[in-house]
Amino acid sequence: MRNVSLLLKQISRLLFIVAAFVAFGTTAHAQDPAKGEALFKSSNCGSCHKIDIRMTGPALGPTITSEPDEAYLIKWIQNNQALIAAKNPKALTIYNEYNQSQMSVFTNLSDQDVKDILGYVKDQWKKVQAAKATPTGDGSGAVADSGPSNVMLLGLIGVIVIAFLIILVLNRVIGTLERLLLQKQGILPEDTEEEEKPAVDRLATVKILAKNKKFVFFVVLCLVVGLGSWTWVTLWNTNVHQGYQPVQPIKYSHQLHAGAMKIDCQYCHSGAYKSKNASIPSLNVCMNCHKVVKTESPEIQKIYNALGYDPQTQKYDSTKAKPIQWVRIHNLPDFAYFNHSQHVKVGGIKCQACHGPIQEMQEVYQYSPLTMKWCIQCHKRTEVNFKGNAYYDRMTDVHDRIKRGERVTEASLGGIECGKCHY
Amino acid sequence: MTENILAMNKFKILSIIAVVTVVSVLLTACGKDKRSTGWEYAPNMYEHIAYDPDQPNTNFKDGKTAQLPPAGTIPIGFVRFDYPNTKEGYERASVEVVNKYIATKQSLADGKILFEHFCSPCHGIQGQGDGLVVQHGFPAPPSYSKGNSSRGGAMKDLTDGKIYHTITYGLNAMGSYASQLAPDERWKVVLYVHQLQKL
Repeated sequence: MRNVSLLLKQISRLLFIVAAFVAFGTTAHAQDPAKGEALFKSSNCGSCHKIDIRMTGPALGPTITSEPDEAYLIKWIQNNQALIAAKNPKALTIYNEYNQSQMSVFTNLSDQDVKDILGYVKDQWKKVQAAKATPTGDGSGAVADSGPSNVMLLGLIGVIVIAFLIILVLNRVIGTLERLLLQKQGILPEDTEEEEKPAVDRLATVKILAKNKKFVFFVVLCLVVGLGSWTWVTLWNTNVHQGYQPVQPIKYSHQLHAGAMKIDCQYCHSGAYKSKNASIPSLNVCMNCHKVVKTESPEIQKIYNALGYDPQTQKYDSTKAKPIQWVRIHNLPDFAYFNHSQHVKVGGIKCQACHGPIQEMQEVYQYSPLTMKWCIQCHKRTEVNFKGNAYYDRMTDVHDRIKRGERVTEASLGGIECGKCHY
Repeated sequence: MTENILAMNKFKILSIIAVVTVVSVLLTACGKDKRSTGWEYAPNMYEHIAYDPDQPNTNFKDGKTAQLPPAGTIPIGFVRFDYPNTKEGYERASVEVVNKYIATKQSLADGKILFEHFCSPCHGIQGQGDGLVVQHGFPAPPSYSKGNSSRGGAMKDLTDGKIYHTITYGLNAMGSYASQLAPDERWKVVLYVHQLQKL
């Protein structure tokens, strides 16, 4: 009897352990997307991968869902370098397809962690696909959002114009009706006689006015004042492009880049600190970010087209490249020399001093007049900072020597610099 | 009758004055079309004969003034960096290349300004990979002091050569900064990045 009860006990214990194992096993196989999301973020997967499109690495959604072998995926994610070193053919093809760029090794992730991440990615990919299947919600909504402002404006203008026309027509109708009424009553004579009289009258008043010396004087005075002020303003504004805001080929917003993102001016205009020109950035500077960011925007597509870049394969085709022709806003005539580095680097002047609140401009316009008067005014007011400037050190040194009565030669004033004669 | 005409006269004179002032104001204000540069006198000094680098130019086949230098030529002051954009080149640069600048107050200050202007939008002022552009959706780079490099090892152990190689060629989502930073500027940035690695 004791034996039997012992046996039963052992069996029940065994059953319990098996049941526990099974339970544990099923939970272990389940993929927990919430945990996966946390791991996805803490492991910085997003630095190189997006769910739906190719970035530094493959688009995760389609790649993972099409891969039947989960064990391989787990191995790859934990240590892709080991797979490549072992010359796994699948690993090698993807390694070579992505220009042999290395993926980080994640040996710290357990099998279960990787499964959670995979679960999260699959979840996200389903959501992306669902969103794509019902594009009407997003797309038309956005269009409708921007649409009404224009339509409403045009509509309002239309209503005003129509109302005005109606008023005009009604006035006319009232006028003719009144005249007809008066004619019927016999107060007004017939139309034909009426038309001749005012014509004579008008000419007569003009003649009388022309003979009136006071009136003629007033007219001449008005003309002189009017034309004179127009000429004055026009002459002062000739060749002054202040406020010029041409339409650029790409709707680049300084407000977004320099304002909201606080990217320094020098990031794109890197010439401003070291050369005469502030330099318009070449498109590779745009691509520093826009290889990854806002790839779907039609304005960014213009950059891709200009470069002959294909976002699907991430390859450049220089034969298809076509440079973007920005419209120059600030233009000094050739007889004036202006050097950006002199002002920005040596003088320490902020870009905004001349270019205005550029970080608030969606579309750039010329803030300053760039006239000679404007330059001179600033040069009259700006004090020179002599400290830490070798040029002025030498100048003050020469001045001291003159005061001490020492001999100052041409050479000490830079008179034997090559450029003094051979420029 | 004469009284009547005189009365009309005054009215007309006033109205004509009003019309003239309105028209003259309108005419002078008319010049402000923001899409146009307005009137120009002798524009040949503004649109000069010499070509600007960013102007179209029919003298060249591709229609650009800015031409690439002929293949194999080297500009004056060019600094060689014979380490290709491969893993081998990267590792070799790590062993062989050493910063020519020493960390002084001045060189670190220069490096700091360059870092803040060119790197901090993504890497953050403290190099923690949390710049404003990242907060707007750009994929986050690893922290210099706490992160791991995708090419193996901790970010805080990156050597002179590895950092310089990465600035020159770019890596993953990061583009090449060779066109924006001259070699000596890159070395100053490397100096400053070493400071941030200690955070």
